[in-house]
Parts: sequence; C-alpha cells; structure tokens
Amino acid sequence: MHLLLIEDDLALRTALQRSLVRAAMRVDVCGDGALALEAWSTLQPDVVLLDLSLPGKDGLDILQQARKAGLHTPVLILTARGTVGDRILGLNAGADDYLPKPFDLDELEARVRALHRRRAGPTSRDEASEQGVVGTLRYDRDSGAVYHQHQVLDLTPRELALMGALMARPGHAVAKERLFEVVFPGEAQVQYEAIEVVVYRLRKKLVATGVTLMTLRGLGYLLKASA
Amino acid sequence: MTSLTHTIRPISLRRHLLVGILVPIALFVVVDTYSLYRQALNAVNIAYDRTLLASAKAIGELLEVEGVGDQAIIRAQIPYSALEAFEADNRSRMSYRVSDAKGKWIDGVQDLPQWTGTLPSQGPYAALVDFYDDTLRGDAVRVAVLLQPVASTRGQAMATVQVAETLELRHTLARKILLDTLLRQMLLISVITAVVLVVVHRVTGPVRRLSDSLHQRAEDDLTPLEASDIPREIQPLTDATNQVMQRLQHVLDHQKRFVRDAAHQLRTPLAVLKVQVQSALRGDVAAPLALQEIQVTVDRATALANQMLSLAKVEQVRQMQDFATIDLSEVVRAVALDVSPLIAEKDIDFELVTQPCSIHAHDWMLRELTRNLLHNAVRHTPAGGQLSVRIQPVGDDAQLVVADSGSGISEDMRQRLFQPFATGDTKSGTGLGLTIAREIVQALDGSIQLNNRLQGGKIVGLDACITLPLNNPNS
Repeated sequence: MHLLLIEDDLALRTALQRSLVRAAMRVDVCGDGALALEAWSTLQPDVVLLDLSLPGKDGLDILQQARKAGLHTPVLILTARGTVGDRILGLNAGADDYLPKPFDLDELEARVRALHRRRAGPTSRDEASEQGVVGTLRYDRDSGAVYHQHQVLDLTPRELALMGALMARPGHAVAKERLFEVVFPGEAQVQYEAIEVVVYRLRKKLVATGVTLMTLRGLGYLLKASA
Repeated sequence: MTSLTHTIRPISLRRHLLVGILVPIALFVVVDTYSLYRQALNAVNIAYDRTLLASAKAIGELLEVEGVGDQAIIRAQIPYSALEAFEADNRSRMSYRVSDAKGKWIDGVQDLPQWTGTLPSQGPYAALVDFYDDTLRGDAVRVAVLLQPVASTRGQAMATVQVAETLELRHTLARKILLDTLLRQMLLISVITAVVLVVVHRVTGPVRRLSDSLHQRAEDDLTPLEASDIPREIQPLTDATNQVMQRLQHVLDHQKRFVRDAAHQLRTPLAVLKVQVQSALRGDVAAPLALQEIQVTVDRATALANQMLSLAKVEQVRQMQDFATIDLSEVVRAVALDVSPLIAEKDIDFELVTQPCSIHAHDWMLRELTRNLLHNAVRHTPAGGQLSVRIQPVGDDAQLVVADSGSGISEDMRQRLFQPFATGDTKSGTGLGLTIAREIVQALDGSIQLNNRLQGGKIVGLDACITLPLNNPNS
C-alpha cells in the first residue's frame, strides 16, 4: 500500500512514517501545503493522510483542489481542530474519514487499511478483524468455532451465534436487542426472555475458561476475561 | 442587517432641534413679514392720500366763479407756493390741474390727463373724492381728484381739482419699512438659532464627555461609567451600559481564571511526563515500564485537552441550534455500551431502567452529558459496587438519574462542584466533566443536581439528577 503523508510537524511526520513503514506500507511525505498537490498528482498514492493546519496552504483547500483536479484518492484527515464545524466541513469537502489528534497508532493503521480496502473492493480481507480474542478464548470466524486453548468449545448454534456477536468487539457490551436478532434471526414468535436462557447455559459452559459473561441489566451482555 | 446600519446615518440631536425649531419659525416669519409689510404700506398710503386730499381741498378753496351753469367762468388764483406746505420733502414733487365741469383746463399742469372716472358710490370720504394711480411725464404718480363746488356771490359752478404726487417717497418709505421688518425677523431667527445651539451643546456636553472618556479607556477597563452629571433622561443608557460592562467583566474574569487553571492543569501531566522520561533515560526504570507509564500520562493530558474542547464546543453547538427530536433513552443506551468496558473492568453491578423520553436537543450534547455523568459515576463507584441509571418522564420533564454507590460529596465540595477544576480528585478525572454537564443542561433549559443518597444516616452513594424539558409534552 502506498501512502502520501501531508503533515508539517517534523516530529509527527518522522514518527508516523517510521511506524507505517514498519507496518509494511510505502510512505511518501510532504511537509509543505504549497507542494502537496503536485506530490499528490505525481505520486498517485493509494491513500492520502492530510493534516489540516499546514503552512503555505490550508489542508481543506488542498483537498478541494485535488477533488476538482479529478484526484479521487481516499483521504484520511488528521487534525487537532476537534470541533463539529471542522468535522462537517472536512467530510463535505470530500474527505473519506477523519481522525482527531491525538490519535492511537493502531487506530490510524486500521482506518488507513479500511480506506484502502474500501477502494480495492471487498476481495482483500483483513485477518485481524476476522478473529476475536477474549482472555483464553478465541473466535475463528472462518471455521465458526470458539477455541479455548486450542480446544473447540462444545456450543450449540445459538450459543455460538451469541459468542460470535460478543467477541466481535472484545471488552464491549452488546445490546440485548442486537443479541436477540443474532441468536434468533427472523423468529418473531420467540419470547424476548429466551435470550436469557441461552445466556444462562452459555455462562455455565464458560465457568472453566476463566471468561465470565457479565450482565448489564437493562442494557446487554459482555465477555470479560478474569484477571 | 449590518449593511443597513451602515447606510443609515445616526440622527444629530443638534440638527434635529435646529431644523425642528427653525423651519416652522422661518415659515412663520416669511408670512408675518409679508403681512406686516402690506399693513404698513396700507397705513402709509392712507396717510399720504389724506395729505393729497388736503392739498386738493386747499386748491379748491382758492377758486373763484362768475356766472351760473354753462356760462360760469372759473378762475384760479393759485400762488406758486400753494402746494409747498404739502410736499413732505424734496423727494416728492406735487403738481395740480384744475378744470371745469366739462373738463376744460383752467389752471395748473396741462400734461396731467383729465380725470374721466366715476366717483365711488360710498368712499371713505364724505366729499366727492377719489384717488387713482397714473403717470405724469413718465413718472408714476398718485392722483387725488376732488369735485369742488365753487360758489360766490357772483356765481356757482363745479370744478375738478386734480393733485398728483410722485411716488418716490412712498416707495422709499415702503422699502424702509420692509427692511426694518426683515432686519428684526433676521435678528429673531439669529437669536433662536444661537439659543438652540447653545442649549443643545450644553445638554449634549455630558454625553460627549462620556464618549470621550470611553474612547480614552484602556482595552480591558470595564469599571462603571462616572455618570454623576448625566441628565436624568440619559441615565437609563449609562445604567444599562454599566450592567453590560459588569457582565463582561464577569465573563472576562471567568475566562481568565479558566485559562489560568487550564494552563496549570496541563502543566501537571507535562511535569509528570518529564520526570517519567528522565527517569527512563537515566535507567532508573526499565524502558518498557516507563513507556507504559508515559502512555498513561499522555492519555490523561489528552483527556484534559478533549474536555476543554468539549466545553468550548457546547457554546458552539448551542449557537448552531440544529436541534432534533431525540429519545434520551436511546442516547443513554448507546453511551452505556461505549462505557461498558469501564463498567466491566470494575465488576460493577449495573442496571439501566428506561422509558422513552423525547427531547429537543443536539445529539452530541446529550451524548456528552451522559458520557460525563457515566464516567464520573463509574470512577466513584468502588469495585463490585452498584451503579444504576434511570430515565423516566416526570411531569413535563424527562428525568435522568445516575446513582452510584461511591462516597458522595462533602458540603464544602458541593458549593464548587460545577466550577472548572474544582473537584477533589484531579488524579482520575479532568475536573471539567461536571462543568461541561452543567453547560449542556443550561443550554437545554434543564437542571442538574447532585445529592448524597442516605440510608440510616449514612451516605451510601451519590445521585446525579438531571431534568430536561420533554418535547411537546401536551401532544
């Protein structure tokens, strides 16, 4: 993947370039707003990382001119201007995503890959998102199984669906309504409380794994690895 | 709006008064002068006509007659100086003509045309008299005509006596009267103008002095205006100005304090960071451990910066006013899901009880409000403690209660609760959460209260209670 990083702060530029190169990306940098457009059209990168506050030319101006000039490269805006107005402006001006500074490196990498993937189409898949890990449990979406230390857990299809949903965002609670839709898809006649029965059974099966299925009453459930 | 105020020039009090007073007076003066002039001219004419008549009568007295009727012969023995007594000065020249009943010239100036008119049936004079304007040798003249019956022992006849007088004197007098009148009226207008100017100048003096002193003020001088000599009518203006300045002073003080506090708050994590970096560089601590500590410190500073931006954003969003109808329960549910990792981390016994509550608000505001309250509650709830969130309509309001099982707040802290950086533990929080919450609640016309929850006289937790007006409670 070929990136163009347009950012005037030398320290941030160097650090970002170093990390993104280590993440197997090819990174060209540009620190001057006035030269950015030329670099963009010459290099034809896969994704552009654009800082808004640049000397020479404002980031939003660059973006608008690039779009006018027919450059449709996906753009991820990086900025310390974390206000609503800027956010709307950024996306209206033709940006594809927006990341306020300071940001997490992992988050940046994930967003860049997402932008690239969106452009490349649904064929290239990211492996990291295909697997959820909570404590000693690992959910493998391809095989549709939950592993506990390389042992497949013996789960019913409904329990498996529940686990799948809970492990999609490890550590986060999932709303009960959402879980119901996943576990009982299209089964309107099933009572809402039925989900609690599935949870009850699953909780018992998880006892030995050190992972607890926590209830947030009135909200939903989450998987928590015991310390 | 602004372009309108630019094009309309503010009214000048002086001009307003001058125009308002002088235009009607000037109009009056014009009419008055004209009528005065006419009156004076009339009086002058009557007076001179009377003299003219007297001169005609004097001449009539000097006539003699012989014979009666058509045979009568009228003789005039009129001395050269007969009219001298009647000439007012050397500017008017008088001449006379005497003729008989048939108009035949008897004596005097032959050039003076014979009178051919008829007498007014009821003139102002009892005698057979008339006055008219004519010309004599190219000069305009006023003529008095007198039909004088002449009688003596030797005869009886009618004679026509005409006396003409040039008009120079009358014109001179009329001009003099006109000039006099005009002069007086000009004087009157000048006096009025001067008085208006002086009065306006004196009345607006305090206002000018006030604006001068305002112009000369230092940029940040917001002390009240000195307004002891200001007229009563303008006092409300200075009072209002003083009130505005007081409010500005308050806001300014508030912001100064906020900037000072914020700078202080930002320095703290930077100081920590510096120590952490230096201790790692000196080898006091293993690099990976130091980096983990540094990460925590950076997160803390980031959270603080984000909260400061949020605080600024409340005002911005409030001014944008793109509010929508939002179900508070849905927002709280979404935020609770976001916060769920923190709840799980502390093994908190969580409960959410909701009823739909439609609110007219900005989505970000409700999220930010709920997020701050939930973060606070999670932070103050001990591990394994309870945290409940309830949403229900109460009357015309939506009520949101976030009840934690923490140690509550002291009465002393209660006073400063919503002030920036006032809360006790800046270690874990940013000190801005409740300030932001209150700003949002105020922007939504709601209320926020924090109360200790008591059980058997002991504090068992804190209830953050927010009420926000429901959207269309009647429909």
